Amino acid sequence: MIAHAEALFQPLTIRGLTIRNRVMSTSHAPGYGEDGKPKERYQLYHAEKAKGGIGLTMFGGSSSVSLDSPATPWNQISVADDDIIPWFRQFSDRVHAHGAKLMIQLTHMGRRTRWDTDNWLPTLSASPRREPASRSIPRAMEAEDIARVIADFAQAARRAKEGGLDGCELSAAHGHLVDQFWSPSVNGREDSYGGSLENRMRFGFEVLEAMRQAAGDDFVIGMRMSGDEMLAEGLSHEECVAIAAEHARRGLVDFLNVLGGQARDHLAHAVILPNMSFPVAPFLHLASAIKREVEVPVFHAQRVTDLATAARAVAEGHVDMVAMTRAHIADPHLMRKLAEGREDDVRQCVGAGYCIDRIYVGGDALCIQNAATGREAKMPHVIARASRSRRVVVVGGGPAGLEAARVCASRGHSVVLFEKDSVLGGQINLAARATWREALSGIPRWLGQQVRKLGVDLRLGIEANGEMVLAERPDVVLIATGGLPNPGLFPGAQHAVSTWEVLSGGVVPSGSVLLYDGMGQHNGASTAEVLARMGCLVEMATLDRMIAEEVGTTNQPIHLRELSRAGVVFSPNFELVEIYPEGNRLVAVLRHTMTLAEEERIVDRVVVELGTLPVDGLYRALKGSSRNRGVIDQHALVAGRPQPEEGEGFALYRIGDALAGRNIHAAIYDALRLCKDL
Amino acid sequence: MGPAGAFVLLAWILLASVLVAGARLVLRWRRGRAARVDWWAGLVALPRRYLVDVHGVVARDPRAARMHALTAGGLLGSSGLLLLGVVPALRAGVVYWVLVATSFAVALAGSAMVARRRRPVRPAHLSAGGFLWLPVWVFLYAAGGLAGAGAIVLTASPGLGFAAVVLAAVGGAGLVSGLLTGPIRHALAGAVHLVAHPRPGRFAGRRESALLPLDLEAARLGVAVAEDFAWNRLVGFDACIQCGRCELACPAFAAGQRLNPKKLIQDLAAASLPPGARPAYEGSPHPGAPPPPLAAGPIVGAVLHPDTLWACTTCRACVAACPMFIEHVDAVVDLRRHASLEEGALPEKAAAVLEAIRHTDEPEGNPLAARGDFAAGLELPVLGAGESTDVLLWLGAGAFDLRYGRSLRALVTLLRRAGVAFAVLGAEERDCGDLARRLGDEVEFARLARANIAALNARRFARIVTADPHALHVLRNEYPDFGGCYTVVHHSALLESLLAEGRLTPERRLAGRIVYHDPCYLARYNGETGAPRRLLDRIAPERVEMARHGLSAMCCGGGGGAPVSDVEAVRRIPDLRMAQAREVGAQTLAVACPGCTAMLEGVPEPRPPVRDLAELVLEAVGEG
Repeated sequence: MIAHAEALFQPLTIRGLTIRNRVMSTSHAPGYGEDGKPKERYQLYHAEKAKGGIGLTMFGGSSSVSLDSPATPWNQISVADDDIIPWFRQFSDRVHAHGAKLMIQLTHMGRRTRWDTDNWLPTLSASPRREPASRSIPRAMEAEDIARVIADFAQAARRAKEGGLDGCELSAAHGHLVDQFWSPSVNGREDSYGGSLENRMRFGFEVLEAMRQAAGDDFVIGMRMSGDEMLAEGLSHEECVAIAAEHARRGLVDFLNVLGGQARDHLAHAVILPNMSFPVAPFLHLASAIKREVEVPVFHAQRVTDLATAARAVAEGHVDMVAMTRAHIADPHLMRKLAEGREDDVRQCVGAGYCIDRIYVGGDALCIQNAATGREAKMPHVIARASRSRRVVVVGGGPAGLEAARVCASRGHSVVLFEKDSVLGGQINLAARATWREALSGIPRWLGQQVRKLGVDLRLGIEANGEMVLAERPDVVLIATGGLPNPGLFPGAQHAVSTWEVLSGGVVPSGSVLLYDGMGQHNGASTAEVLARMGCLVEMATLDRMIAEEVGTTNQPIHLRELSRAGVVFSPNFELVEIYPEGNRLVAVLRHTMTLAEEERIVDRVVVELGTLPVDGLYRALKGSSRNRGVIDQHALVAGRPQPEEGEGFALYRIGDALAGRNIHAAIYDALRLCKDL
Repeated sequence: MGPAGAFVLLAWILLASVLVAGARLVLRWRRGRAARVDWWAGLVALPRRYLVDVHGVVARDPRAARMHALTAGGLLGSSGLLLLGVVPALRAGVVYWVLVATSFAVALAGSAMVARRRRPVRPAHLSAGGFLWLPVWVFLYAAGGLAGAGAIVLTASPGLGFAAVVLAAVGGAGLVSGLLTGPIRHALAGAVHLVAHPRPGRFAGRRESALLPLDLEAARLGVAVAEDFAWNRLVGFDACIQCGRCELACPAFAAGQRLNPKKLIQDLAAASLPPGARPAYEGSPHPGAPPPPLAAGPIVGAVLHPDTLWACTTCRACVAACPMFIEHVDAVVDLRRHASLEEGALPEKAAAVLEAIRHTDEPEGNPLAARGDFAAGLELPVLGAGESTDVLLWLGAGAFDLRYGRSLRALVTLLRRAGVAFAVLGAEERDCGDLARRLGDEVEFARLARANIAALNARRFARIVTADPHALHVLRNEYPDFGGCYTVVHHSALLESLLAEGRLTPERRLAGRIVYHDPCYLARYNGETGAPRRLLDRIAPERVEMARHGLSAMCCGGGGGAPVSDVEAVRRIPDLRMAQAREVGAQTLAVACPGCTAMLEGVPEPRPPVRDLAELVLEAVGEG
């Protein structure tokens, strides 16, 4: 039992609304909105958290109240007309059925959005100052605009209430319109909305007053804000405390949802959505400082990934509600497990940022380790038992094999897992060796603990062959043997070493090193950082336009920061075409992808990252004797139906990188969607 | 005077010695406080108490019962007959001497059984010392008596008869020499103890288990020195025959804590003697306790290590096992009352708990209004003053515990499912005071009891239901002394009746082997062992019993403030109890008390899951 767990189970009453415990999920935009509405997928995603015991779940990050704050970026929700109300009703019924409360975030994004979507209306703000993140130059709001947007907020609050939601928060964080007015770096107005802090707060006051008037006295209205913009020209901590205190003093807010930082540029995104390179709860102190100054409850989110930290934050009085948003993406049944004394079974967020990074490139939020999140209609969070027990052999103890073993064992099958290494985890064990990527080790740690608990027969240190597999008389064989580094096809490829050899310690380079990254993922960038920290002089070349181009918004800046600090030279737009030895050194030939001009580098080592190629020897050995010849029926798989059961003998399936080199989520999803029906 | 006369004379001399020794014991006991004793009722009840109540406990070990019947019956019968020999006509008849010989033969057989108890190896719970000589003295007395009576019957030479009288005299002298400090003191003190017992409510099948209120106006609160005990308590200590049954039953002793209830009683008996006159004790010690300084003065310090006092879980296993109806727990609480109220000499965490109770009415300082937090989302109805309901649900301190909140949520869900009209006291429920009272803080207990009774009396309800046997005991048995008389029902009984009436219907039977652990405060304190078992039998087909169950169940280690007193131990009591559950192949350990839940769930895994009866019933009827 974690210390102070009971602190999390105290109900909290705000304006007559009693929330059953102190753990919540903040409003975010998982990219599940359709046509600006929270439809089935969005609702089931939150209903799952409600089922899992969460006290309050807030949805609709950046839900727009006006037409010139479009809902299209990140598939947000539009609260700009009454069409939304029936969807809210359906949504709140779904969540209330499981005892949780449901609130929405309402905002006008001002300049922090795009003009070239939905309605093609220019963005607006306090003053026409360009925003680095969205690159939009807003027009300055006139008095009529101010009155219109205030009225839009009021109407949106009314819609939220009529839709049966328990409350809403006004977003005044991440550089939205309200905090654009607050910030002297954006607000250069000379009327009554600019100048003094009092004037700069006026717009927000009027918005909140109008929302209260429209929604009535029995509706919770809070505000999300930064506790310190951590930006030279931004709002200081003291100003943020003053803003919070003034709003609370005036009775305009029922709660304050405090975070640290802002989101104006690339690094700011990485800071405000801290990944695994940050300590746990890095900005709790900001919320705590505001809590000291206000009488209203204070909420806080930012990398509170574990229940022990959450419990401490509440028990010590830093905050009233702890938001564990990404923690719920990893495990929506967090509070239920804690209440049932099963906190050891919680799949803890590792802070990979896979969920959030996907939405910044227009994708949907998916969890690196929990493939059921966001797919509740088809993928189960709780695996149902199968009607009959089968004998399953899993070969490979990486993420695909472990997830397959976990799901099959939860189905009630008897599972044998062969792993040639002496430890479970597969490639994740390598990835976790790279400096701040260490927390990835949490993924196989949880899976390993679960399969042990479920009684999976683990055969570690054994490289399975066909005979050994068949000796188990299996009904199903799952090949999850992963991949090995792709050496590449260019001349002299044999002179290079792989990133694996560096991370495993098999090769200890020194002197000058050229790292060539053909993947643009974490692998190359984190190995370059390891090399630089070993004392090598590192040049990182890639055929992409930027280093770590495939790495998302909240992780790429950390790579760039760390690599730059370590003095790694970036050479984008180069392709490695040849390596040849010269004396005891190597010459690497790089061709510029735009000019096609070739350059040479004389280095001590060349390290390449070109992804993996499947290890499929065992698959080929067993394929002939399997009843399905190793074929997965894709229609059945995608539709979530069981695989066809024709023929005699065992079924053979390949999952994860053994099928094709991809990523952790793909490996886990391969396993879950196949095995949930076995 | 022939051998017959000498025999009768010997009997009278022995009687005189007994009377002298008895008088000296009486003088010793009179140093204790006065006590109100109904002598007449006690005397009338004596035969029944001795032959039914005492024998009922002794007979749990049939061999011991036979041994005691032969020895005590033989000795009392033969000696009594010899005393009657003062009537010359009687003394002259052969039949009389045949009877005398027969009763000596019975005693002789008894002496053999007494001897056999410690042969070939003396069991650890039996004392050595004087007890090794006891069979010798009985043997000499009985053998001499038998030989002498035989010689008289067979009209053998007077020399033989006289020799037998001498033999018997040696044995008899050995026996009476132990009347003040030896084993045989038990016979004399035991008889007085049974007549003047401080709790007549213990006999005739009744189980008076409530602690007696302390007069808070008294000059001395609780017991510091032996003289602070009521005189009939001192008699009780002297009634101990060191049979060691309490030692076998005691969980603290088993865990290697510094408490051996047998030694405790001997220590308390010895405390009324000057240091030099205290008899040697040759049984198991208080495990690991340093030898006391052999000084005069307060019992704790001079005779007992403080740990001995605080190791007791008040589980009453010793009391229930004692054939002499000695009140170990009363003695412990008397000593604790003094330590707590006059000395402030409490274990560190116990002091903190009492401090929290003093300031917040709750042992952990939780706000009373938060007692219903466990049910957030379940909407607990709160009974306001003047309002009425059927069941008043007493939540207890367990409501603040996250783990136990799960059990209570299950109970609340079941009550709702069965359509039971219930409500809670809300912030008006203060701690019931069990912990304060067991730790000796009668002041806080009395204060809490009065406050709770005031809150309860301001509301109308048919019965109180609680899942906490400690609260049940206090509300049912100890509040009447403070003016609160309620019908109090344990949740096991309520749930069982709801199942029996069909208001709850099990949808499925629970799989696996279930073992039920009796809470001390439900079983030994209240005699309730049937309902939990009947309940389990309705939902779980595979129920088995541990060797120690029901009224002789072993404590989980959680009572009497033991967890907060945190006395050093070699083993943990719950580990021992869990081992007993494992021994019978438990796959689920069913419990019915928040204390047991916490203690037994604290046993490291792998172990069977620990689940409250309410959780099991909810699983059986389905989450719905």
